[in-house]
This record gives sequence, structure tokens and C-alpha cells, in this order.
Amino acid sequence: MAEITFDGVTKVFGDDVRAVDELSLHVAEGEFMVLVGPSGCGKTTALRMLAGLEDITSGSISIGGHVVNNVLPKDRDVAMVFQNYALYPQMTVAQNMGFALKIRGQSKAEVAKKVGEAAAILRLTEYLDRRPKALSGGQRQRVAMGRAIVRSPQAFLMDEPLSNLDAQLRVEMRLEIARIQRLLGVATVYVTHDQIEAMTMGDRVAVMRGGKLQQCDTPQDLYDHPKNDFVAGFMGSPPMNLLRVALEAHDDGVVLVLGSQRLVVPPSYATSHELPKVDGPGVVFGIRPEDVEVLDGSAPESITTRIERREALGAEILVHLSMVDAVGNDAIVVNDSGAVVARPTTLVAKMGPRSGVSVGDHLQVRLNPDHFHFFDADSGLSLRRVR
Amino acid sequence: MTTLLTPPTESPTPNPTPPVKKPRRVGRWVLFGAMIVVAIVMLYPFWVMIITSLKSESQFLSGGGFSWLSWSSLTSVIPIGQEVLSSTIVCSASILIILCVGLPAGFAFAKLRFRMSTVVFLVIVSAMMVPLQAILMPEFVNVTRLHLTGGYLGAIIVYASLGTPFSVFLFTTYFRGVPDELIEAGIVDGLGYFGALWRLVLPIAVPAIATVTVLQFIQIWDDLLVGLLFIQNTSERPITVGLAVLAAGRTTSIPQLMAGSLISALPAMLVYLGFQRYLVKGLTMGIDR
Repeated sequence: MAEITFDGVTKVFGDDVRAVDELSLHVAEGEFMVLVGPSGCGKTTALRMLAGLEDITSGSISIGGHVVNNVLPKDRDVAMVFQNYALYPQMTVAQNMGFALKIRGQSKAEVAKKVGEAAAILRLTEYLDRRPKALSGGQRQRVAMGRAIVRSPQAFLMDEPLSNLDAQLRVEMRLEIARIQRLLGVATVYVTHDQIEAMTMGDRVAVMRGGKLQQCDTPQDLYDHPKNDFVAGFMGSPPMNLLRVALEAHDDGVVLVLGSQRLVVPPSYATSHELPKVDGPGVVFGIRPEDVEVLDGSAPESITTRIERREALGAEILVHLSMVDAVGNDAIVVNDSGAVVARPTTLVAKMGPRSGVSVGDHLQVRLNPDHFHFFDADSGLSLRRVR
Repeated sequence: MTTLLTPPTESPTPNPTPPVKKPRRVGRWVLFGAMIVVAIVMLYPFWVMIITSLKSESQFLSGGGFSWLSWSSLTSVIPIGQEVLSSTIVCSASILIILCVGLPAGFAFAKLRFRMSTVVFLVIVSAMMVPLQAILMPEFVNVTRLHLTGGYLGAIIVYASLGTPFSVFLFTTYFRGVPDELIEAGIVDGLGYFGALWRLVLPIAVPAIATVTVLQFIQIWDDLLVGLLFIQNTSERPITVGLAVLAAGRTTSIPQLMAGSLISALPAMLVYLGFQRYLVKGLTMGIDR
């Protein structure tokens, strides 16, 4: 077991494609680190550099305190699980799992013992004599895990190992992988584009975008205190509502301008956040869907909205709300000026499964003032001062 | 009050008549008929060869009767056993070289990233377009300067050179279809590139190996020109040269020639039939991707 360190690691493809840009990250012994981000964010490239399958343009990677930039993959003592499992088709499950040990010259008895132990952990004992093509997707995935486990490596590297599974199996395997990782206590770097996987599996989650690390934190900290509007919008399902709004002076404090409506910003935000001056370029205001409370009637601190879209998910209903002016003549007052084509800015709110609302209904909503988020309108960075 | 909901009763429907498949069936018969015609055209020469070889010279000229004479006298006319052995040696050695060069080269072109790989690949593959006749004389001059025109070696080198571009092309195409992750998994597990080729890729490359083997075997076994020019020792000449000598004799016995031709054709046919199922897979690979 070992810790892993990325120190200013950069990968440039061709002349100018910076797939990974100055990545610095530390994975502690036994930690489950998830690299998450959209396609092309550099997460897989970072993992491949760690495995030794890609050269590093600059910076250094160390495993167990040793810089491994120029160490061959086979000598890094890491095990990798691939997206398509990469099982050897001509070998049985047992041969697949024991292959790395066989290459390393371990005795047949030793290989059989370790394969048996790993198979027991993964509940694969009865499939040891089968070929990969005779296994289901979930079983293949477990064999790929088994191949990694038997080696007792310093680190597990997993490249979107659940992507090829159906939704139900993915949930099962998510728990299974997390269970095995905790059982073995081996440092793990897990790459995924699925933020739910990231939130549920990782001890810490590193969010990447355009080759750069955006934020690395515990899942809850990422969710509660995103460092920028990208992380805020990426983590969470549905994601955080982000509105570009202007600020206005109001009594001693400030209000957010939502078309013809005004939303008072509690005074505490003036100290906890570095809010821009009123009448300035404005801010990006963020609020999680669960902090948009639908009210029965009108209330002083509420805003008037109209349901534009309704998505029934069974356990809850997501409603997409556009803000209308207080008179209620359906004029959409807030437009997203950042979009190429102007569109009404909508808030997503969660409602109970049996709330009989439909598209076009007007709703009064209250935005929970304890959970406002503010981001710089230009850089997207959080304006939060202290944590 | 409760209301019992009963499922709507389905009105009895008459048994649906099976869809008419007449046009498809007719098409199938037409296709079958065409295939029979093609088979007759292809197999008729073999039939003639077999029938002719089972006649003596006089029976062949008169048209009636059967005899083993042409088969039994064949070995006294040409050293058929030695010639088959020569053809086997030349074929096997050439194919071995073609596979030994083509396999790693195809693997490298398909899976390794190196400078100018595309250009080098295109140059090698473009050699497939050059006909043998166009380079025969320069090749002959080169091989003669190396003093290799006597025995097998000169012919083996020429056959291997001619067959390698095709094998590189075929193996590259095949290995491009092998997932990169399979090789990367092997490398992370502890293999080098040669180890990955030998232990992981080779076992799943049987269709490609079979395809190269069969096609090259047929080509080399049936070739006359290279054997005639590059193997000048009469004791080492291949079967095709032997048959040519037989045909060019002062008095050519057609039944003996047919018997020799059958012996010559048999190995290629057996190799083809033995590897047929791989051959189709090997030749169609890449089409479904």
C-alpha cells in the first residue's frame, strides 16, 4: 500500500493540446480518490500517466514516495481495471486472474491460493473455469476486479469500470467496489464522468475540466462549498441553479434583481462573501434545487414563478420554473444573458410525487437564505471568504 | 360499491395466414442454380484431370479404358517425391519468414505510436501493387550477385520479400481490431510489448495467421517463375518446375502430366480446405467495424 502524488503534472499531445495542465494531487494510503469531469477533461489521461501508459510532458508522479516518471508500467506495482474490462479472451477466469502472478514467476499453488481467495471475495468461485465470453457484464467486471486484487498492488487504478453496465447493476457494483476497496485498504484512483458515482464512492473527489483540477474535496464539501460555478453546476443531480443577476442597494444591505422581483440577501453574506459593488457587473447566484421551497401561498420573501417543464421521476417531481413579474401577466423577466441564444433562466425545484402541479401553473417559491451561493460573474470563482 | 374490472375479451380472430414468401424462395433457387453452374465450371477441369490421369497413353488417345500406368510410371519420369519435398521446404520456409516479419510489423503499425509510422506503412503496403514480373530481373541480378541462385535460399528470400507486404497489411488490419486495452492490461500486468504479442495477441490472431498461410501457400506452391529462375539445381527444383519440364519434353504424356498436376494441386487444396473457416473470417475482418 502506498500514497500517490501528482506534482505539477502536464501532458501535451501534439504541439498544443494540453490534456492535463499542472495537475497536483495527493492520494493518501488507503484513500479512494475519484477523478470526475466531463469528456475530454483529462481524467483518463491523468490515470494513464499514473499507470505508465502515457509519457509525462512535465511534472512528476510518485507512488509510495518514489518518482515513477521513467518506470515501466510493470514495475510500478499498480493494477488497472479498464472500462471494457480487457479480459484475455483465450483464458479462463482463473487464468485471467492469475496471469500477472504467473508472469512474476509465482508457483502454481501460490497462484491458485490467491486466485481462490480473490474469487471468494468477489463471489466468483463457481465461474473460475469459464471463459470471459460465457460471463455476464457484471461477472466480467468482477473478474477484472479480481485480476487487480490478486496482485495485492500498491494502488488500484480504475478507468470508468461501470460505464458498460446497466443502471441497476451499476448501483450494485458501485457498492461492491467500495466494499472491496475498504476491505483491502489500497489507495485507489477511480475515473468516472458520473458525478453520482463520484459522490457515493469517493473519500475525496477531484473535479477536472479542460485538463485543470477545479477542486478536490470530500463529496459533501464539494456539494456544499463548490469553489467555482463549474463545480457547482457539475456536482449534484439535478445540478445547482445558477442565475446571472444584478445587485441593488436596499436599506443597509443588497438585493438580487430577478426581473421586476427583488430577493433580499441576508446581511451575513456581506461578511462571509466578497460581494461585488451594487450596480456593478453582477454575480452568478447559485441555489440548490432542494433549497427552492414551494410555498402554499404568498409570503414576504417569496418570488413568483411559472412552471415551464415538469419531470416526474417517481419519488419526486422536478419542476423547471421561470420567473414572472409580480403581476403575473406571464412576462418572462429574467433572461440568461450568457447564453448564445437568449433563453429564460429557469430554476429547478423538487416537489413531492403527488403534488398535482402542471405546466403553466404559477408557484410562489422561497429560496432558502441559509444556502445562497455567489460566484464571480467573470471568473466563476466562489466569492466565499471563509470556510 | 366495487366494480369488478374484467379484461376485455378478445374477439376470436381467424388464424392469420402465413406471409407469402414466394419471391424470396424463387430468389434462393436462382442463387442455388447459379452456384451449381459455377461449381461445375470450377470442378470440371479437376474431373478431366482425374479421368485423364487414370488412362495409359494409348487409352488416352483412343478414348476408352482405365489404367494406373501413368501414376505408376510417373516417378520414373520425374523425381516427384523430391520435387514435392522441395516445394514444401520452399513454401514452409518462405511462409515462416513472412509470418515472423509480418506479425510483429503488423502489431507495431497497429498498436505502437512512432514517428512516420503511417508513411512507412504505406510504403510497405504499396509494394503489394508492384507485379512480380516488373521486379523479376533486378531481383535475379541481386540474388545472382549474392550467389544464391543455386538452391532454395534465393527463392525463399524472393518469395518472403514478395509476400511480406501483404502479411504486414493483413496483420495491421487485424490488430487494429484488437482493443488497445487488452495489450495495455497485459503491460500493466507485467508484460513487455513482445510478451503481449506472444502471449496475448498471437492466440487470438489465428484467423489472420491462417489467412496469410493459406494465401501465401497457394501462391508460392503454384508459382513457376521464381522456382524456374532462382532454383537452378535440378535436385532441388519444386514440383511446378518439374511439371513444366515434363510438359516441355520431346514427347509429353498427357496422362502423366495430369497425374503430376493432381499431386501438385492436392497440397494446396488440402491447406485451403483445412483453414477454410479461418480464411473467411480473416479476409472479412475489418468489414464489420
